[in-house]
Amino acid sequence: MAEEKKGRAVATSTAAKIPKFVRGNLSATLKAKEEGKKVAAAFIADGQDEIMRAMDIVPAWGESFSGVCAAKRDAEKYLQKAESDNFSRSLCTYATCNIGFDMMREELGGATPEGAPWGGMGRPDMMLGNGQLLCDPRFKWPQATQHYQQDVPVFVTNMYYPPWDPNADHHEQEAIYVKYATEELRETVKFCEKITGKKMDWDRLAATVELSDKTWDLFIDTYELRKHIPTPMDTGDAMNTMVPLTFNLGTQEAYDFYVDLNAELRQKIADGVGVANPERYRIIWAAGLPSWFALGDFQYFNGKGVVFPVEVTYRGCEKIERLDLPKTNDPLEHIAWRWVRYWTHWYDAAKKRPGSTPKVERIIEYIEDYKCDGAVFHSAFSCRSWHAGIMQQAATLKKVYKDIPILIMEGDIVDISSYNEADTHNRIDAFIETLAAYKKRQG
Amino acid sequence: MAFVLGIDVGSSYSKAIVLEEGEIRSYAVIPSGGDYREAGRVAARAALEELNLTFGDIARTVAAGYGGNMIDFADDTSTDISCHAAGVHYLFPSVKTVMDVGAQYSRAIRLDDEGRIANFIMNEKCAGGSGKFLQVAARILGIKVSEIGELSLTAQKAVEFTTGCAVFAESEAVSRISEGASPADILAGIHNAMASKIVTLVIRVGLTPDCAVTGGGAMDIGLVKAIGRELGTSVFVPEEPRITAALGAALMARETLKTS
Repeated sequence: MAEEKKGRAVATSTAAKIPKFVRGNLSATLKAKEEGKKVAAAFIADGQDEIMRAMDIVPAWGESFSGVCAAKRDAEKYLQKAESDNFSRSLCTYATCNIGFDMMREELGGATPEGAPWGGMGRPDMMLGNGQLLCDPRFKWPQATQHYQQDVPVFVTNMYYPPWDPNADHHEQEAIYVKYATEELRETVKFCEKITGKKMDWDRLAATVELSDKTWDLFIDTYELRKHIPTPMDTGDAMNTMVPLTFNLGTQEAYDFYVDLNAELRQKIADGVGVANPERYRIIWAAGLPSWFALGDFQYFNGKGVVFPVEVTYRGCEKIERLDLPKTNDPLEHIAWRWVRYWTHWYDAAKKRPGSTPKVERIIEYIEDYKCDGAVFHSAFSCRSWHAGIMQQAATLKKVYKDIPILIMEGDIVDISSYNEADTHNRIDAFIETLAAYKKRQG
Repeated sequence: MAFVLGIDVGSSYSKAIVLEEGEIRSYAVIPSGGDYREAGRVAARAALEELNLTFGDIARTVAAGYGGNMIDFADDTSTDISCHAAGVHYLFPSVKTVMDVGAQYSRAIRLDDEGRIANFIMNEKCAGGSGKFLQVAARILGIKVSEIGELSLTAQKAVEFTTGCAVFAESEAVSRISEGASPADILAGIHNAMASKIVTLVIRVGLTPDCAVTGGGAMDIGLVKAIGRELGTSVFVPEEPRITAALGAALMARETLKTS
């Protein structure tokens, strides 16, 4: 039985529009059949968004659905279902929650299991996997799902980017990675053409990519308004407002959402309205996915005058001009350059600080730009790719930058059995006391 | 002449301490049971009665610990982590690293020169490095928790546990008993396993001498020695390690009075 979820207020009224986006994405997968569209099980931040949008393929975002199940505190039945077929809980719980749901749907002959949060998700016609460096489960997730949906074809790409090596010239390496990624995307198009029976409209793809670029720019312009003191928007909201960028890239609706958010933040700044009053400490959410079942913890921070004006998580874009992308008429090559440079553009900065790394350099840049007093990392045990690097990032940050207060929160993205509210709040309280002591020492 | 009261309501024991002019005048330690609010009140009353005082004689009260927020007669609350830091700094000003071994959690706390928290870390929802492990061991061996320390010092060859998990170690301890291992050797092995977990926390928080152990676990001489061996240094232990956080809470109450 689902546990009761605590209500969570949002700081911006624009963020309150997000459930409509998420529900819309889920219901689109259920309506696709009657609209004659194909559904693709899809994964975020893999460069395939515009291809799907330009070909009218409806993405079924497994990560989003698992997040919804977690936020509704209704994921346990799917986790247990996957567990019953020997999927360990130490595997990514986005994956196991989604696989459990898929297993149930297959047992029902493709019908949506009763009581699925927000109506559930439709059965895919294809799976577009992406085992890029960001997340290791994605290599195997589509294959594991295919055990239960054997008629659904899978296409997995990689989208590699140059690995960080302070002694290597990544500028020399970028072109070959771009070439590889471009070819992968071209193969993705061929795969989608085969499944849908339609040819790619390249002009439409180019226009979609152009719209994505505009959305990237607007997203960053909007989020940089949060530098203002007091900040008009918190990471608690950003875990919602990331939805259009992350799941609806290449759509006018996504762009329009950030037009509204931008206007609202400007108004809040003009009116002097901040997330916390008074704003005592400013913190960066430095790494890690949130516990979707405990987003109320951001309000716990806010209630004590602690705000998060910036986060690394779900800031999956950058101002296009800062990436200095080579000109190309090939929209797929443009996507590839945008992807590779998104990662490598921190490499130059990291090289200038001995011992630093691009991920740490990014955190330092945000700490400086957003005037942060400390950092919070969330170590989600089943998110191994990110969890494994968090301690190293935190230690490097202290070593190459300064001994700022750092809180490592522990939990999971979906599995609520990892969570203890009293313990978490105790840690937060102690962290705030550490911040107070730090500020005193700083004078 | 103002009396202040510090209360630490832990998951196993509730502690109260009365300070006057920065000196400890009395303290009480009682089992918390299931009613934290009442446990805090009873502990406070016991400490007050020792001095023939009433709640009306107390100028300020600070509560901390697992049930600290439930103490409705407290003027303020703080985290037990800050309170441990303050209490240890008062007792041992040279200490920069505190290991608090409580019934449910163990924590490593790094202090700055003024005794404020510079960094802290808690064990990850695991009984392996906490007092719960000792309670499990006492139950298996049919002895009192208070007997563990001295008995472990008579060990000839500490049992090596293959797991740091208190749950798995329980069945492993039972197996070792059936194989003929002595209770002392089993306890010494448990101490080594706990010390390893606790020192891992210390390394994560940044080991900075001097070091101290507080909390109920610090009453176990065998555990304290094992921690010292693992750290490669001796550690300070308060005379009554269970009241360190209550002492810190009382010191915070005194500090607020002084500055208000």
